[in-house]
Amino acid sequence: MKAIYKAGDIVLLGLHGVMVHKVRSALTVLGILFGVWSVIAMLAINAGASYESQMALRELGSNNIIINSVKPPTEQKASEGRSGHHGALIYGLTDNDVRRLRANIPGLQDSVVVHRAAKTATANDRRINVAVISTEPNYPRVVQTDITAGRFISSYDMLRYQPHAVLTQGLADKLFPLADPLGKTVALDGDPFIVIGIVRQLPATLAGTSQSAILIPISTDRAQFGEFNIEFSQGSITSEKVEVSQLILQMANDDGVLEGAAIARNLLRRFRESQDYDVTVPLELIEQKRKQMQLWNYMFVSIASVSLLVGGIGIMNIMLASVTERTREIGIRRALGAKRRDIVTQFLVESVTLTAIGGTLGIAIGLLVPWVVQKMLGFLTIVTPSTLFLPFIMAVVVGLVSGLYPATRAAKLDPIVALRHE
Amino acid sequence: MKELVRLDNLWKVYPIGVDGVIALADINMSIHQGEYVAIMGPSGSGKSTMLNILGCLDRPTSGQYWLGGENAAVMSDSELSEVRNLRIGFVFQSFNLIPQLSLVENIEVPLFYQGVPRHHRHPRSRKLAQMVGLGDRLSHKPTELSGGQRQRVAVARALANDPLILLADEPTGNLDSRTSAEIMVLFDQLNRRGRTIILVTHEEDVAAHAHRVIRLRDGRIASDEFTDGRALA
Ligand SMILES: Nc1ncnc2c1ncn2[C@@H]1O[C@H](COP(=O)(O)OP(=O)(O)O)[C@@H](O)[C@H]1O
Ligand SMILES: [Mg+2]
Repeated sequence: MKAIYKAGDIVLLGLHGVMVHKVRSALTVLGILFGVWSVIAMLAINAGASYESQMALRELGSNNIIINSVKPPTEQKASEGRSGHHGALIYGLTDNDVRRLRANIPGLQDSVVVHRAAKTATANDRRINVAVISTEPNYPRVVQTDITAGRFISSYDMLRYQPHAVLTQGLADKLFPLADPLGKTVALDGDPFIVIGIVRQLPATLAGTSQSAILIPISTDRAQFGEFNIEFSQGSITSEKVEVSQLILQMANDDGVLEGAAIARNLLRRFRESQDYDVTVPLELIEQKRKQMQLWNYMFVSIASVSLLVGGIGIMNIMLASVTERTREIGIRRALGAKRRDIVTQFLVESVTLTAIGGTLGIAIGLLVPWVVQKMLGFLTIVTPSTLFLPFIMAVVVGLVSGLYPATRAAKLDPIVALRHE
Repeated sequence: MKELVRLDNLWKVYPIGVDGVIALADINMSIHQGEYVAIMGPSGSGKSTMLNILGCLDRPTSGQYWLGGENAAVMSDSELSEVRNLRIGFVFQSFNLIPQLSLVENIEVPLFYQGVPRHHRHPRSRKLAQMVGLGDRLSHKPTELSGGQRQRVAVARALANDPLILLADEPTGNLDSRTSAEIMVLFDQLNRRGRTIILVTHEEDVAAHAHRVIRLRDGRIASDEFTDGRALA
């Protein structure tokens, strides 16, 4: 019982030491506070950024493998790019490649082909540059977009080369701000298409650069517009032939994705003479992002460790000064019966209290800063219990470690020597 | 009367220089309950060294120090702390009060380290403050008190643990003659009530209050006699 009273009293004594030296304590607390809040804020902002980019990648579908046709590097164009008539540049995936990929990848659940072209859409006396996405009926299922009105392209549309079109919500709002677009006609480079449905926004990376996208049957596209994309720009005419702009392979589950991607890369290396394609695997990117975030976290924690170390050295410095300044007091207490461990406890409580206060205030500010960042700058920030307590625990450990040396030095003082001090 | 203190072949040698400095050489003495002893001697004769050993603040180089039947010469640092805390009352020449603590808080420091709860410490230290005539200055800080008052607080603090022996190293050394006399009156009162007192002084009129005077010279006991002429037992 007495031991408990004594322990409690010695803790109070340490706290008293903090109260008595207000300026000194405040400065020490500040050092720790900055260390703690900056780590919490950094971790929260990093976690938020990483979450957002992972979400964007997840939108692409974690069980998808996306193969895009890309223009081969310029220096290769002359030698390797196949040139058709009028000097048209021919590159990218072909229907043949698609067929072989579809046949040879195990665990393939679904796949969809896209041909993309830039055209001018006219309706209602409005002209808008759009991305025309020519594709197959299963497109919405593979890219996970919802049909918000009407219907999507059907197999019948495909077979009969129907001039049917599905608008993205964004394009629908621009072309038909007042009327219901369903059943209306949109002209694509002059050729009329009938609007049969509307889809929610497409994932940015899938739709290409333009968010104003219009989807039509790929069969209709080929029958109506032919094989060549002809673009007029700055007085010159460029002509390209790309059979398939994009192939999305959907695997049955996440487990098969990496293997499927490896096989696809292998096959493509054999079919394609030049690097005129690009394989994107969202799952790999998600994993990369996760690793990247971990790396950043390690870096932040290291920075924090350094700043806490500096804070700790500050505390040690101040406690050493305090021990020297109070040598006589220590001698008096020892002469009156304080044991070494009583003195150690008193000084340790002081340094740990300082860091604990610094840590607590640091948590408070560390919570506030991500909130302000989110409100003012619109970054997503994520604060988890571990982002709060890791720096706090670190701060308290710093207090213990940096307080230990001064405290033991105080306790080791010979009472007679201490009494004779100054 | 019961024997409280016995020193047997006690040496204290400071390890300085080739031979070391001999502060106490082969001391043998015995002090009984209720005695009022003055230790005298020229400067450097070993008075403080002896009192520090008696107060368990220092350890002898060799020999035995029996305090209330226990040999303090072989105790650990922690055990010595406990003995100081429970059985020793020490009054210093320079008062040695803790400046940031009030009068009451200073008096109760020994009780603090005994683990006596605050609500029991306070009444006791208040009573002690009254006993030394400072009952009206309980919340004063040491800097707000005169030298004589500070030494009285120190005496009250030395009595807080109801010690076996009360030790004082030149308790009047920093005081003028009038306040010195007041402090000595206080010691006399305490001894009359049965307290065993050992004090170091180099002033004959202070020593005159004691009933027994031990004179040291070069770390040895030069003489040891009762002031009333009684022979040593
Ligand atoms: N800590 C110490 N280190 C070395 N010598 C010391 C120490 N303390 C005391 N002495 C020496 O021991 C002798 C006795 O000192 P002290 O007991 O203080 O004498 P007094 O109190 O009678 O003046 C002196 O010669 C002194 O120099
Ligand atoms: Mg002396």
